[in-house]
Amino acid sequence: MTLQRASRPVAQCIRQSSSTLHARTLATTTIEPSSTDAAPPPPSDPFSHTRNPFTASTPAAEKQLAQQKQRPVGSRRRRAALSSTTQIPFTQLPYQAFQEARAFLQEDRREKLEAIGLQRVKLVRLQDQVVVGEQDGEVERRKQREKDNRVRSMGRRLEEMKVMADINDPMVKKKFEDGQGDMTKPIYRHLADAQWRSYKRQILVQRLTQMNVIPDVLPALEPIVSTGLAFPTTSSTTPARSRLKRVQHGDFVSSTLSSQPPTLWIQPYNKGTRLCTVAVVNPDVPNVEKDGFDHRCHFLAVNIPISPINTRVRLGELGSTSENKGDVLLPWLPAYAQKGAPYQRMSIIVLEQPSPTLTPILTTLLGAVAESQELDAESASQDPRYNVRDGFNLRSFVDRYGLKAVGADLFRTKWDEGTAGVMQQAGIVGWDVEFRRKRVEPLPYQRKASERYR
Amino acid sequence: MTLTHPKAPSMATLACLQSALSTLRTTHHAVPAITHITRRKASHQAQGRANGAKDGAGKRLGAKKTGGEYVVPGNILFRQRGTHWFPGDNCFMGRDHTIHAGSPGYVRYYQDPARHPKRKFIGIVFEKTQSLPQPTHAARRRQLGMLAYQMPTPPQPEIATDETSAAPTKVSDGTTVSIRNSKMNPGGLQLTLGPGYQYRQSNYEIGRSGDKKEAAANAKGKTIRAFAKFKPGDRFAAWRKSVVRVARSRERKVMGRGGKGGAKKKN
Repeated sequence: MTLQRASRPVAQCIRQSSSTLHARTLATTTIEPSSTDAAPPPPSDPFSHTRNPFTASTPAAEKQLAQQKQRPVGSRRRRAALSSTTQIPFTQLPYQAFQEARAFLQEDRREKLEAIGLQRVKLVRLQDQVVVGEQDGEVERRKQREKDNRVRSMGRRLEEMKVMADINDPMVKKKFEDGQGDMTKPIYRHLADAQWRSYKRQILVQRLTQMNVIPDVLPALEPIVSTGLAFPTTSSTTPARSRLKRVQHGDFVSSTLSSQPPTLWIQPYNKGTRLCTVAVVNPDVPNVEKDGFDHRCHFLAVNIPISPINTRVRLGELGSTSENKGDVLLPWLPAYAQKGAPYQRMSIIVLEQPSPTLTPILTTLLGAVAESQELDAESASQDPRYNVRDGFNLRSFVDRYGLKAVGADLFRTKWDEGTAGVMQQAGIVGWDVEFRRKRVEPLPYQRKASERYR
Repeated sequence: MTLTHPKAPSMATLACLQSALSTLRTTHHAVPAITHITRRKASHQAQGRANGAKDGAGKRLGAKKTGGEYVVPGNILFRQRGTHWFPGDNCFMGRDHTIHAGSPGYVRYYQDPARHPKRKFIGIVFEKTQSLPQPTHAARRRQLGMLAYQMPTPPQPEIATDETSAAPTKVSDGTTVSIRNSKMNPGGLQLTLGPGYQYRQSNYEIGRSGDKKEAAANAKGKTIRAFAKFKPGDRFAAWRKSVVRVARSRERKVMGRGGKGGAKKKN
């Protein structure tokens, strides 16, 4: 009797597994269940003499695996567990508490999906409401503002609910941690954003504030998109195949490396494609006459489309290929610092172009995505304030075109062996100029008569 | 007849008596002046402690340059124990918390709640009309403090061609020298110049040399091992190995560490 009772959940589980093997369980993605429940590969055939990299856990087995020139996959504990257990997919493991919990979570998810449906209906009904005002315009405007606020907050709540529906799914968590998350889904975007904010964004903001990029280049900057930077290196053996060297925020980059235009990855965490402007500004150009520093723009490009799935921007190939869309106003100038001058900060600012008058939130909720306004590259390239590199004022550029700073990256450059060569190749005047500290006259003080008080 | 109380003799009378008797006195003891009454000190504590903290000489701490004074880099602005004042713009702090000027300019004493709600700062501005703290979100005021000169011997710029790598080259200070086929280097080793101006093999090469030699010998079907590879269960091979080992160790003991050791042992 007790045995029957104990076996009932297991039997239920096995019955369920046969029926739900091809049905969607908790995941919202459309990936096949075979890859969703990534069943571990079967153990090796007892008559074969080759070792399985997934199940070799004893020292002798690992040695034989090394002789096969194969590396073990996963930790030794995992390999031992896999070799000693049968091949059951994770979601079908016959543990009562686990299956009860799964059932509870599935029920919770069903409730949340219903709530999402209701919220959608409410939102559409609210948007269909027409604002009517009695007096000339004051009341009408106020009511319109209130309606917009309500729509915006309801939209935010809807996005939250979409994330809440999938946040408890262990397969979603596993897929995200394996790097297989689909960035078109809000849950994976949410998880990626949380991961970025937990560490890398803090590092970036620390670098930007400690190195004073924030007050010098822009008055304020809250990064919303994550950035990554890499410079191409050409190896002498295979010049055709260029590899990329990643640069961390604030790193010193050698002049030979930064002579080539880099690749910038821009990862937004909200859905839709938007047009961005990328500006590389150096605020540390020494000016001896003014006894201060000038700004110089090393790169400027507008109308670059960025989305959660298309994140790579090759600054050297913008506008030339169909993959890299964008209008380059100022092509890449190699970063350089003259001898004796302090190190120069090269700040890469990502600016989002404004969207047209229709508020983007409304259209995103209905499914369509508001397009950002295209910046007129022709008129911008003719503007005398923004087509010169020296004295480029990014604050003025941002104000003129109504841009919003959404992301930034930073690297530094200083004089090294290759700088003179890079400057000569780029035709920059001043490769043989060096800076030396100005001698400051000491303050006059009363000199005593005796030699002892020199 | 009235009874008169005996009166004490007057001071004058006593003085006369004292002077009269002093001539008859044989010894001259120090007689305390009767006019001066001795007084005892009030308490022992007022004399001070033996092991207490003593106040030292004053260290001349405090401000050395007032607000608005013109200073040059290095000038001491404030001497203190601990940080009553913190270094602000263009100032730095020495190892004993002394605040120095970092650039030529005018001294300013100020508070910057954005930087810290309670701290007091000493900073330097470049012009007399400027004040601190600097307005928030504004580009910082900075001074270059340098002059541009023509380089006396301009560097030879290495123009990066396709042959030379634009990659970050590994800076290897060691120049590789292989003195092959020579008496000094019979093994044909790859010797690099290391720190201390020593031509030597690198440590990892030395460590791997044994493995390399074994692999080379194995390729020819031989081995550099003194004893054959251990086969568990082969007692005859194990006995032969131990016999050789025992004989070798006995020989080594007889010989001693050096020639002298052996000779000594014999005696």
